[in-house]
Amino acid sequence: MILTRGQGGLFRYVLYGHAALAMAFLLLPIVFIALLSLGSSRWLAFPPPEWTLKWYQELAGDPRWAESLWLSLRLALCVTILSVLLGGAAAFALTRGRFRGRRLLKAFFVSPMIVPVVIVAIALYSFSLKLGLNGTFIGFVAGHLIIAVPFSVICVGNSLRAFDIALEQAAAICGASRLQTLRRVTIPVIAPGLMAAAIFSFLASWDEVVISIFMASPQLQTLPVRMWTSLRMDLSPVIAAVSTLLVLASMLLMLVLGLLLIRRAPK
Amino acid sequence: MGANIKRLLGAAIIAIGSAAGAAADESLTFTSWGGTTQDAQKASWADKFESETKVKVLQDGPTDYGKLKAMVDSGAVGWDVVDVEPDFAYQAAKMGLLEPLDFSVIDRTDIDPRFVFDHGIGSFYFSFVLGYNPDALGGNAPTSWVDLFDIKKFPGKRTFYKWASPGVLEIALLADGVAPDKLYPLDLDRAFAKLDSIKSDILWWGGGAESQQQLASGEAPLGMFWNGRIYALQKDGAKVDAVWNQNLATADFLVVPKGSKNKAAAMKFIALATSAQGQADLANATAYAPINLKSEGLLNKDLVPLLPSKHAESQITLDLDYWAEHRDEISKRWYDWQAK
Amino acid sequence: MKTAAASRTLHEAKPAWPAIAFLLVCFVLPVGALLLRSVTDPQWGLQNFAELLATGTYARVLFNTFLVAATVTLASLIVGYPLAWLIVMLPRRWQQLLLAILLMSMWTSLLARTYAWLVLLQKTGVINRLLMFLGVIDQPLALVNNLVGVVIGMTYIMLPFVVLPLRATLSSIDPALMHAGAICGASSFRLFRSVLLPLSLPGIGAAGLMVFVMSLGYYITPALLGGTSNMMLAELITQTVQSFLNWGLGAAAAVILLAATLLLYAVHMRYLDEAER
Repeated sequence: MILTRGQGGLFRYVLYGHAALAMAFLLLPIVFIALLSLGSSRWLAFPPPEWTLKWYQELAGDPRWAESLWLSLRLALCVTILSVLLGGAAAFALTRGRFRGRRLLKAFFVSPMIVPVVIVAIALYSFSLKLGLNGTFIGFVAGHLIIAVPFSVICVGNSLRAFDIALEQAAAICGASRLQTLRRVTIPVIAPGLMAAAIFSFLASWDEVVISIFMASPQLQTLPVRMWTSLRMDLSPVIAAVSTLLVLASMLLMLVLGLLLIRRAPK
Repeated sequence: MGANIKRLLGAAIIAIGSAAGAAADESLTFTSWGGTTQDAQKASWADKFESETKVKVLQDGPTDYGKLKAMVDSGAVGWDVVDVEPDFAYQAAKMGLLEPLDFSVIDRTDIDPRFVFDHGIGSFYFSFVLGYNPDALGGNAPTSWVDLFDIKKFPGKRTFYKWASPGVLEIALLADGVAPDKLYPLDLDRAFAKLDSIKSDILWWGGGAESQQQLASGEAPLGMFWNGRIYALQKDGAKVDAVWNQNLATADFLVVPKGSKNKAAAMKFIALATSAQGQADLANATAYAPINLKSEGLLNKDLVPLLPSKHAESQITLDLDYWAEHRDEISKRWYDWQAK
Repeated sequence: MKTAAASRTLHEAKPAWPAIAFLLVCFVLPVGALLLRSVTDPQWGLQNFAELLATGTYARVLFNTFLVAATVTLASLIVGYPLAWLIVMLPRRWQQLLLAILLMSMWTSLLARTYAWLVLLQKTGVINRLLMFLGVIDQPLALVNNLVGVVIGMTYIMLPFVVLPLRATLSSIDPALMHAGAICGASSFRLFRSVLLPLSLPGIGAAGLMVFVMSLGYYITPALLGGTSNMMLAELITQTVQSFLNWGLGAAAAVILLAATLLLYAVHMRYLDEAER
């Protein structure tokens, strides 16, 4: 604890108040979306004239949303794994390696974030047309991976920088091989960085719209592409229903994981 | 890592394999804007085409001009018939991105001459109308484009089409008192000056759904809309209305990208889509008007009063040739003005 | 001597090779080809750049982009830093609750979140109606389709990107330092100002830079929540390549942004990024 109980006085309460407001801010749209998904107004009027489940029924009856969801999920998982591996390895080279041009290399890895996404989308699209990879799963993975890798490099890099190399040296002294050291010492300690890299990479792919619009084909439409088309063309609270279901699913997942971890913890 | 590579390779192989398999039978890709309009186009044209010719019609969308250009540039053209906006059709033709239409296959004798040229033919025609939300306006009803610029009598935001496209500038000029037959060439200075008078009250819509949400919620109690969108709102029970006085007629166009791999089938598809029956079927489903003059007799009687073709007295057709000539300079001025 | 250094460079950078190879093939090659069009499309020369800098529009849009990105970064840091600190301070159960709420907001689709803000912030939307009902205002405020809406929406999106890294930074600070300060009699505010803040500065710099850079190129949220008067660069480029089909001009705009950002990055690395020395 940085500020223990009984200390801090007013300052602590200011912090609490700030946090409460921030939480309200964070929750407002999510709750609003959930309420909209239950309202009968097609045009998202609030409060709605009636409450209804018809959007959820419509969702259940339309297999295209489930297909898009499944595609986005598979895609995001592939991208996450590859991103953490590639980006994490790159972060190792950046923090441990002693060579000139490290800064340049770091800027190189971050550059996909800097180039406006529509430029990346068109460039990649033209490129993939020549290779026949547009509208393919692998094309999607490549496109999303490009924007996910910078997150991995940054997050794992941050963790590695805070990592005390003495731990690895101690393990070596105790006779651990490099692989063992990596597996049992390094990775557990930088786990928060790896976790952050995984989360950001997953979300980068999951929420990606522009590149996906270009890469999409009638058979391969990710969830954001379907939602974007709906927002522009035919507005419908079905989007709100999709979004709410996903939030509920993730809450359930977190709950389950939380319970499992509690049960595992020996203390 | 190895397992993932195998998994990805497997997915790639399957994807490539199925693409190769599909190419074996003849097929055609029709691209439009998605939503209920494309659903109607599929039902009225694609399904019929498939049963008549045994050529499979794949649906893609939404139409994306960047994608189209990229396809034509790279030679890997995946779209065969594309529904595009009129000014784009003309511009793309000028830029050499389109195939000339084969009028030996497509019968243009009964087609409304306003909506056909060498490289494109009308998909359906529609009007920009003045839509308004009577509740949000407190019972006041506008009667012409002049009212769009009258903030005192009709307070609130007004919504306009966002992109540099025929419509907004003409409305501004008409509201400023320009006679319909003197609209072209467009006096850009005058139009922008008129728009400046209400600039802080302008809301922009980039897509049909946005325009509908803005009107239905009252965020923009009046504005310019595609007539079909107002119709859809009314069908849905929303209390909105349209003013047809001086409605501005224009059309979406069907074009064939240069280098299309299924040109012959594409021309046949367009011939069906623009036939009297094809156009009537679409009109009956969408309340957009047919571009085939012979479709009149095949229209659903109840729908007729809602069609742009029935509001022709004060209708003004947007001059697409003019826009084709001047689109670049107008666009530049338009976007510069918008960003101010 | 040179070859030894070069081969050592190659060797030391070995774990990064796969990432480098991937980015070179899938990113640098295609994007480089497109950016090259800024000087080759429609003819060789710098006309595209001249055209961009001739009218005030591009300069205005570029300025606006940096302004919005800076504002969003500042807002996110101001809202996010105390939140991160609190998360580190609180007992485990509260920590998990706050983190869960944060993650829930991240997990909600970007489009859904942005559109929800659009509807919430409209003149006829919930927030305005609530404020009028409470008597705080009598006319609805223009909270969307302008700069305000964009900042609110983007801060919302960026908040987790600030809180999560800052939490990692703050939790790695040795609590003993704060205790020592407290023992010496420093007030909690003084502790914050003289101990915590300086120690967390690198973390703030890193998180801030990440959010800033992300905000510069962002398309979705500014496009849905902004008006055309404060257009950001991503939308301008989209307009240029989609409406005008002028890829040369769009590429030129991207080149200028890239150059400006890399410059900023270089400044950051030189003066703020101590760890890389």
